[in-house]
Amino acid sequence: MDETPKDQPIIRISGLCKYFDDFEALRDITLDVNRSEVLCLIGPSGSGKSTLLRCLNFLEAYDGGEVYLEGDLIGWRSAREAPRRPLSSEKLRRQRQHIGMVFQQFNLWPHMTALENVAEALMHVKGLSKSEATTKARAALAKVNLSDKEKNYPANLSGGQQQRVAIARAIAMEPSVMLFDEPTSALDPELVGEVLSVMKEMANEGMTMVVVTHEMGFAAHVADRVAFLEEGRLVACSPPSEIFGREPDDPRVRAFLKTYRERNVV
Amino acid sequence: MEFDLFLRYGPALLTGFGVTILCWLVGSFGGLVLGFVLACLYRYGPAPLRWVIYAYVEVIRGTPFMIQLFILYYGGPHFGLLLSPIQAGILSFIVYGSPYFSEIFRSGFNAVPHGQVEAARCVGLSEGRILRRIILPQMLVPITAPLTNFFIILTKETAILSVVTVPELLYETQTMAAETFTFVEPFLVLSLFYWLMVIGTSWVGAKAEARVTRHLRKA
Repeated sequence: MDETPKDQPIIRISGLCKYFDDFEALRDITLDVNRSEVLCLIGPSGSGKSTLLRCLNFLEAYDGGEVYLEGDLIGWRSAREAPRRPLSSEKLRRQRQHIGMVFQQFNLWPHMTALENVAEALMHVKGLSKSEATTKARAALAKVNLSDKEKNYPANLSGGQQQRVAIARAIAMEPSVMLFDEPTSALDPELVGEVLSVMKEMANEGMTMVVVTHEMGFAAHVADRVAFLEEGRLVACSPPSEIFGREPDDPRVRAFLKTYRERNVV
Repeated sequence: MEFDLFLRYGPALLTGFGVTILCWLVGSFGGLVLGFVLACLYRYGPAPLRWVIYAYVEVIRGTPFMIQLFILYYGGPHFGLLLSPIQAGILSFIVYGSPYFSEIFRSGFNAVPHGQVEAARCVGLSEGRILRRIILPQMLVPITAPLTNFFIILTKETAILSVVTVPELLYETQTMAAETFTFVEPFLVLSLFYWLMVIGTSWVGAKAEARVTRHLRKA
């Protein structure tokens, strides 16, 4: 994959549309993500945040518009064909190696230890030897402060630990972008902090991150920009100071954030 | 009770037991493999192939084993398929078992959370490797017990092979009974043999289940 100039956006989304049968899940989304930027996607449930995120690595095949990662069209052979043809699975696999993803439900492979979860793709996608993969996987687990749990199966890890293993599994592949799909929504409140602090650290190290979240504190303090979606439309995309300011411009953003303010979250 | 008859008929019964085990093992494992292939083709194959497999599963599950055996053994020669009784027995056993096995595998496929497959795709694992490394080990957790169960059912289905003169356990037992006019003793021994096969199978099944669920044990 060609390196685009550093000042170019790393992800370009233009005119993105996605339908589930007759339901319009995403309507004409245009959005760029800059290198080393942390972009948080917020909005009511069903607004299309997760769908947007899943279009970025083609877990959902988008119907219209384009998604480029470092100049490469994601998923489709060409944006101009009608009907569009998907990339060969070989090429799609190569694209996905550059995009790490973390899920709400962790999705660790339960029959593999923490170390095996992280090492699997290093060996069988990157083609590293077992010892090289183990060394790299250990380094990734150390980054998420789980060196002492490498032999544990997921069943013997807390939710927060499982999510950190999932993060280690993604960063071990050295992706250029990390996608997070509500990474703390399935966690007990006291376990949220350990996951967020790992994410904060990644942000400080310059990782490009797109985060679907309901953690308004994280969005307010860590994000460079916050995008607000409603009914599949991008309603606002601004620095958090503007979104979370006392009186956001858009009434829909105001209404959404009101519930959080009432609980003194922001 | 005339158990001394077993001195005379013991060797024949043991040979019959051997034939039973042979037909059962080869037939069951053949059915297991064919069933797995069918389940994979059903999952990954194109729509017309799925209809064919669906029809095959419904027809074979919807007809008695003995009829299938008759058709293969007595009907086979009309289609140029000339089989010895043992060959016909094993082949029909494979055909008979495969749709049940394929249904067990199909349920196993459905039991693996899709998120695990998505996570595997996200790190770039190939579909073949996902099947081997993520889906298969996972689906063994819910399907080992039903697989064991079906192997146990099949131990006793081997008795039907006697109707096409496969010299298996029931066939030898009936010969002994007819020649000696004893019935209780031979059939008691026959039951003992099947029972041995069944407890052996459940023992292996229990070991297999412990193996495939070891990651779920709390430390």
